[in-house]
Amino acid sequence: MVTKFLIPILAITLFSGAKAQSCQNPQVEATSFTSLDATIVTQIAYITEFTLKCDNPLPENYALYAEVEGKPLSAARIGENRYQVSWTEEPSTARSGVHEVRILDEEGWASLRRARRSDPNANVAPLLAIQLQHPGSYSGPWVNSEVLATVLSILIAYIALVQKSKILA
Amino acid sequence: MSTKGNKTFTKEEELLLQDFSRNVSTKSSALFYGNAFIVSAIPIWLFWRVHALEVSSTLAWFALVTVASTWLLALAYRNTKFQLKHRVAVRREDAVAREMSRKLADDKKMSRKEKDERILWKKNEVADYEATTFSIFYNNALFLTIVILSSFYLLRSFTPTVNYIVSLTAASGFLALLSTGTK
Repeated sequence: MVTKFLIPILAITLFSGAKAQSCQNPQVEATSFTSLDATIVTQIAYITEFTLKCDNPLPENYALYAEVEGKPLSAARIGENRYQVSWTEEPSTARSGVHEVRILDEEGWASLRRARRSDPNANVAPLLAIQLQHPGSYSGPWVNSEVLATVLSILIAYIALVQKSKILA
Repeated sequence: MSTKGNKTFTKEEELLLQDFSRNVSTKSSALFYGNAFIVSAIPIWLFWRVHALEVSSTLAWFALVTVASTWLLALAYRNTKFQLKHRVAVRREDAVAREMSRKLADDKKMSRKEKDERILWKKNEVADYEATTFSIFYNNALFLTIVILSSFYLLRSFTPTVNYIVSLTAASGFLALLSTGTK
């Protein structure tokens, strides 16, 4: 899957022509959203939106890439210096806690890819990292109401049977 | 009251109680049918709201099954009560006799026979009441348990209509059958 992704990314990097000017002294303001109720959805969505501020002016089509726990993603540009990174996970594999979204620019992304080719665990210092907090999603009560009803009714029926056999004893 | 007297009375009382048992009074019959109706009607809610049974097209089945189940449950109540009443009377007789003798001890005018009759009557009343209420509790508990078990687990894959009809008739039929057993 990594190689499948690698080719288009490399193509974009190599043929985009306009060599991106890298961001100096990046500052970021991020907001995020994660699905909390897994009973009504089939996938847990993670979304973070952030505004990037650099000391130098950025080109119009400044592209950013993101990596979350080894998963490559591209950051969608949604406004003036505003980007959005989103992905989904299966509710069973979505873990709660902090997910680190590592944001890289084109240069950083390309060097990460290069480094990964020789060492799959290689890491490159990201341009910035966003901490996305997922408090965990609700996937229904621990005990289903029907199970609870069954257990309670069996308990009462058991009491009734015991009492009856006591009376008839 | 002497112990000897008490013992001789027990046999008579047993016969008397057995006589009384099968003839359910109007009040107790109304209690049985009223209870049986309520308990038979309750699962309609379960099937309507939880099992998503279409109400308008199943009204006839609702009526039919509720009536059948009411009748069967009332039968079960009656038979269970009959089974229990005698035993309850035996278990309660000492306490009731003691209490009634204490109550009637001051009354010098009352003859011995009348006192004994009063005690017997009271025993019958207590046993009748306890057996009636316990019979209703016992059958309701088993009925609802069977309905829940069969509707949620055994007949889960069937359509709600079939599930409803089979669950209720099976539960009430089983209880009616069980109550006729001579255990």
